[in-house]
Formats: sequence, C-alpha cells, structure tokens
Amino acid sequence: MAGIEQAENARGSATALEPEQSAFAFVFRTLCWGAVRSLPIVLLAVAWEVFARSGAVTMFQLPPLSAVLERIWHDAIGGDLFINTGLTLYRAITGFLISMVAGVALGMLMSRSAIMRWFFDPIISVGFPMPKIAFLPIVVLWLGFYDVSKISMVVFDAIFPVVTATIAGIAGIERELIWSARNMGANNRELMWQIALPAALPQIMTGLQVALPIAMIVAVVAEMVMGGYGLGGAMMTEYRFANSRGVFAGIVEIAVVGYVLVKGMSLLRRRLLIWHPEASEPTTV
Amino acid sequence: MTSAALALPERTRLQAVSMSLFRYLPLVLLAIGWELTARFVFASSSALPSLSQVAAAWIELVKDGDLITHGASSLYRAGVGLLLAVLIGAALGIFMAWWRPVNIALAPLVEMFYPMPKSALIPVTVIWLGFGDGSKILLIFLGCMLPVTIGAFNGARGTDRALVWSARSMGAGRLRMLWDVVLPSAIPEMLNGIRTALALTFILLVTSELIVARQGFGYLIGYLGNNGSYDAMFAVVLTVAFLGFAADRIYQRLMQRILRWRE
Amino acid sequence: MSGQPQIVIDKVCHTYRPPRGKPVLALDDVSLSVGTREFLALLGPSGCGKSTLLYLIGGFLPIERGTISVESKPVTAPGPDRGIVFQHFALFPWKTVRANIAYGLERQGMPREQREARVQSLIEMVGLRGFEDSFPSQLSGGMKQRAAIARTLAFDPSILLMDEPFGALDAQTRHLMQSELLSIWQRTPKTVIFVTHDVQEAVYLADRVAVMSARPGRIKTIVDTKFDKNDKNIFKTKQFVDQVDAIWDLVRDEAIKAQGGRES
Repeated sequence: MAGIEQAENARGSATALEPEQSAFAFVFRTLCWGAVRSLPIVLLAVAWEVFARSGAVTMFQLPPLSAVLERIWHDAIGGDLFINTGLTLYRAITGFLISMVAGVALGMLMSRSAIMRWFFDPIISVGFPMPKIAFLPIVVLWLGFYDVSKISMVVFDAIFPVVTATIAGIAGIERELIWSARNMGANNRELMWQIALPAALPQIMTGLQVALPIAMIVAVVAEMVMGGYGLGGAMMTEYRFANSRGVFAGIVEIAVVGYVLVKGMSLLRRRLLIWHPEASEPTTV
Repeated sequence: MTSAALALPERTRLQAVSMSLFRYLPLVLLAIGWELTARFVFASSSALPSLSQVAAAWIELVKDGDLITHGASSLYRAGVGLLLAVLIGAALGIFMAWWRPVNIALAPLVEMFYPMPKSALIPVTVIWLGFGDGSKILLIFLGCMLPVTIGAFNGARGTDRALVWSARSMGAGRLRMLWDVVLPSAIPEMLNGIRTALALTFILLVTSELIVARQGFGYLIGYLGNNGSYDAMFAVVLTVAFLGFAADRIYQRLMQRILRWRE
Repeated sequence: MSGQPQIVIDKVCHTYRPPRGKPVLALDDVSLSVGTREFLALLGPSGCGKSTLLYLIGGFLPIERGTISVESKPVTAPGPDRGIVFQHFALFPWKTVRANIAYGLERQGMPREQREARVQSLIEMVGLRGFEDSFPSQLSGGMKQRAAIARTLAFDPSILLMDEPFGALDAQTRHLMQSELLSIWQRTPKTVIFVTHDVQEAVYLADRVAVMSARPGRIKTIVDTKFDKNDKNIFKTKQFVDQVDAIWDLVRDEAIKAQGGRES
C-alpha cells in the first residue's frame, strides 16, 4: 500500500537526518507543517470568494465569503451573535449534562439490578437506532415551543449512547480487577464508585463524545423547526426573508460552534484519562 | 430415539419464542400503559391519542395511499443520497489512505466539516436545488459522506503491512493490491461508518422534510400536526421510527453476513 | 548456478527511523552468502535486525547502503522468486484457505483447472484436508501457519524467507511444525533463510546458523550445523546438545545486552 510504502521510503531514503536538531529548526518545521495543514482550508476560502464573485452564480445562491464574514461581524457588534450562540449552547449543554448524569445513573442501575436491566434493555436497544427526531412534533405538542421541549428533545436523543456506553464499560471490566478489590475488602458501594466507575470511564467518555455532537445537532434542528432565537432559529428566520447572506452566516457560526465543542470534548478526554493508554487517540479524525 | 431427536428442536424453538417474548415484554407493558393512560387520564385531550386510535389511523393512511406515496418519495431520496454518500465517501477515504497528497489536501477539510451539524445545510440545499428531491438528496449525501470516508480511511490505513508484502511477493501490482488487499482491509470499519450514515440518513430526511418539503414522511407529519389529526400524526411518526429501527437491524444482519470471515 | 552463491549480501547497512525519536542503526556492514538449496538460520536476540535483513532480501524495504543480489541480479523489489512466511501468518482473513493458497497462482495467470489441482495437492501436503473452505479465523495457530506455508509453496519460489514462522505457536505445535517443515524441504528442496531466536530450532533445522549480535546487528559467527535430520533421537545425541550449548554461549551475551537496551 502506498501510504505505508511511502512511510517506509521516507524512513529509508532521507539522507542521514541529523539526530540533534536546534530548537529553531524544530519551531520552523512545526510552523511549516501547520501552514501546510491549514493550506487546504485557506484555498477553500479563496475558492469560495472567487467563485462567488465570478458571476457564475448569483449573490443569492452563493454570497462571497467576505460578505458573509462582514455579516457575522455585524451580528457580533450588535450582540445578536452572542445571544443566539449562548441560547443554542445553553440548550445543547443543559440537555447534554442531563443526559450524562441520567445516562450514567441508568447505566449503573441496569448493570446492578436484573429487574432494571430486564425493563430497560429492550427499550434502549429498540430506541437507540430509531430516528428520534421524528418525535419532535409530538414533543412540541406536549411541551410547547419553549426551552423545555428543546432540552427534552436533546435529552431524549443524547441519553442513549451514554447508557449503552456505561453498560458496556462496566460489563467490560476485567474479573481479576473486581476480585482483587473484593480480596482487599471493598464492599459493594465502594466497588461501584472506586473500581467500576473509574474502570468504565474510558468507555463512558467515548459515549459522551458521541452524545455531545448529537446534543448540538438536536438543539440546532429543534430551533430550526420551532423557530425563534438560537443559531438554528435565527438562520431559519433569515431563510424565510430570503436573506442568503444571513443563512450562510448562520452555517458558518453553527460549524464553528460544533467544531469547538467536539475539539473541547476530546481535549477533556485527554485530561481525564491520562492513565489510560488510548487516552490520546480517539477513533475519529 | 427418533421422537427425542424431533422433540429437542421443538422445545428449543418454544424456549426461544418464550425467551424473546419475555425479553420484549417491557415494550408490551409500555404499549398497554400508553393505551390506559390515553383512555383514562387524558381522555378529554386529543394530544395523546390511544394506541388503538393510532392503529386505526394508520390503516386509514395506508388505504388512502398517503402513507405509500409519501413513504416512497422519502425512501427514494434516502436511498439515492445514501448510495451516493457510500460510493463517493468510500472512494475518497481509500484514496486518502492510499495516496499521501490526497490526505494532506483533504484531511483538514474533513476534520473541519465532520463535527458540523449537517442539518444546518437544509436552507442552503433548498436555495440551490429547490423544494423537491434534489435538495434532500444533496443534503443526505453531504451529511452521510464523512462518516463513510473516515471509516474507509481508518480501515485502509490500518492495512496490515505483512498482507501488503505477501500480496506483492505473490506478484500483485499496485492497482491489484488496492483491490485485493486495501479495500477488503477497509471494509469492517467502513461498514461501521455506513451504519452511522444510515442513522444520519433518517435524521436528515425527516428534519429536511419537516422544515421545507411538499412531500415525504416529514411533510406528512407536519401537515397532519397542523391539521390537528394527532392520531394520524402519531401513526406516521411511529412508522418512521420503526423504519429507522428496522433498517438498522437489517443492516446489522447484512454486516454479519459480509464479515462472516471475521468470527 | 555458475558456482556463485544464489544469494549474496554485500556490506549492507540499514538505519531504522522511528516516526518520533532518534534514528537507530539496525544493521551494520552485514555480508553473507547463501548457496542454492541451503537451509540457513539467522539467529539472534529480538531486535537485532534479523527480520530487517530478511525484509531487505525480500525487497520490501529499500536498501540504503551495500547490495543484495539474488542469482547475480540486484534486489530492487519483491518478486515471486522469493516467497515469504511471517510469524503472524499474514493470511488474507477474508479469503478461505483454498482462496488464500490459490492467490499467487491467480496472479501468475495459471489456468483454473491446473490451479485447482495444485491447490488441492498442497492442501494434502500440509495436512489441511477438510479445512479448504474454512476462513483463517476458524483455524488454530498451527493450521494457519500450515496454510501460510502452503500459500507460499504454491507459486514455487526458489527461495523461502521465513520470519520466525513458529514463534507464535505453542511448544508442542512448534515441534511438530519443525519436523514437518524439514520433511517438506527434503521433498521440495529450496533455499531457506529462517529467522529465529530459538537456538535449538536453528540447530535442528539449518545447515548453517548465522549468529547475529545485538544492536547494531552484525554477523558474529557462522556455525556449521549439519546433522542427520532423520534421526528421531537427534535431540539426545551428545553432538547435538554440545552444538546447542556452544551457540547458546554465543547468543547469551547478546541477549543480555539486548535486554539492557530495552528493545521496543
């Protein structure tokens, strides 16, 4: 395979790299690599700008990037940007935190009690693959258009991966670990809090890493369907007024917030799981 | 002797049936609970139709042909969008692993767009392609491609060096190796990516149809809700939920078949 | 062959460059010749570069300094004249035993009927009858290695490169596989380069044992180890035991050095 071969070749044919590198060379190389990595993004931005101004598309179909950024700047100065971002984040993160606490609790209960497991297992396994967003109109019907219904929708969607990850994490603990803890005199409660939970933490973190983008998606979608404030709602308002610049500004804002949330989560994982060998390598790019 | 041999599978089948009945009993209990709550607690309100009302409405919808026509158009959009996402996404992922320049060019873009909630693109796809099938297909394609790409990339990148070397020493050329070694090595992770994409397909389909459409499940849900025919709305919601669940189960079976070499 | 040895390794050096960290000199000035149909064992502590040397002969890694030639032609790429068997089998997990063995023949464009006959005869030869349609994951370690050996023998390379092929097997299976390899080798003589860190295995199998030093890898000595391989009690003969002990003494220092160096 070429990737592998090239790696081998790079290793093999580079003419005797000096093992001792100066700090300057190191900084220089890091900067160069950073430039190479961000080049595609810069190129995409330039291509957007040029294509939008070329006349091949109308301003309505694709406003130039500069116009979109200007619009975002205006929103920022006016304060709308912060209100909308804050509201979306509030809904997504509140829902996420509720899912986290409730999901881990439910997962632990299901791991400990056979009755809980019997009752919730089919509900979880049938509910997880369902497109729960289809229930949104029902949630609106019951809980109205306000935050309660949006946050409920987030919880309804984000709790599933947390529960399954908690159960899988606890089920995957090595028997020897439990036995040695018992041998050293841990009781049931200590076993749960001091052994099972930390040992299951890597899996639980993976579940949370799945749940966070879901929370963000559902918050935005709920806003888009219900309208009103928040990044998704504001974007739909712009759309209804056929203001495509505002629509594109909304997309950029949502993309940035999503990116920051996901990156923040993987940083947190690294912090929390220093002891775990796979801490630094989450499976996605 | 023969009777015992015959009785054994009979009993195990009976056992299996009663086991799964016991397993899914909570769902039955939930359904009964729903029916009772709707009948006796919220009897005066239309916000919670009873399960029997919903079932009647479902039969009505099927008879009218509404559910079929809207369902067909939804499934068409989902199928085409997902198919495009799988084909193009897989090719992209494998080329990223196979050829370093492609990786350098695309990895930052993939990393940037992957965490983005793709439903945010709903208004843009409508601005570009209108209210019909095109915008839904584009949305599903854009939303589902990256999980497939990342799966294919990780799988292809994890190709065992010894397998590549073995194939080369047996006389396989570069293209041959891509087809015979890299692609099969990428398949397990790629199939996982496609499973994520399948779930996303339903989510994107329903949301885009809820927000802007003149046809499809999502549109039907919104339309019925606005008309106050909540029993029919529940029927469509449950149908979509069931289809999503069934698609995932069928896909899992398929995956097991494809990966039967893995044990 | 025109008097010249089949494989000539001349002053080969190789530097291993890990993705992070300092480059390591893995092979330093290694020269070695292997005659046609000779069974040579490369013996040394883990991390001494013996597998690297094998990969260089196979043409899998680029040769930086020195030359390796096979039948007087310099090695530049892998080729079907040099078959390789890996420690972890490297069977295509998605192909059945039969399809794995047939792969090399397909690449050579052998007609279907001829191919099927050859695959069947190899399956008989390594004793995998009844497992033709199993996937590798359904086989035991010993059976996997039989399948891998059959796959390599199928396309009839004149040279067999074996990279600790029995290292992942349990002691009993390893023993069985060693004597089977010998009997296969006696029936279809080939040049074999056999990498191992098991002294007894090396002495038992090989005509000559090349003992390598720990990092940087060098050839320390080459010992002649010709015995009557068909002797069932060879392990108990004084001659054999003495030979193993003598080579053990040579390897021990290197093994201790390698331990101290904390191999990867």
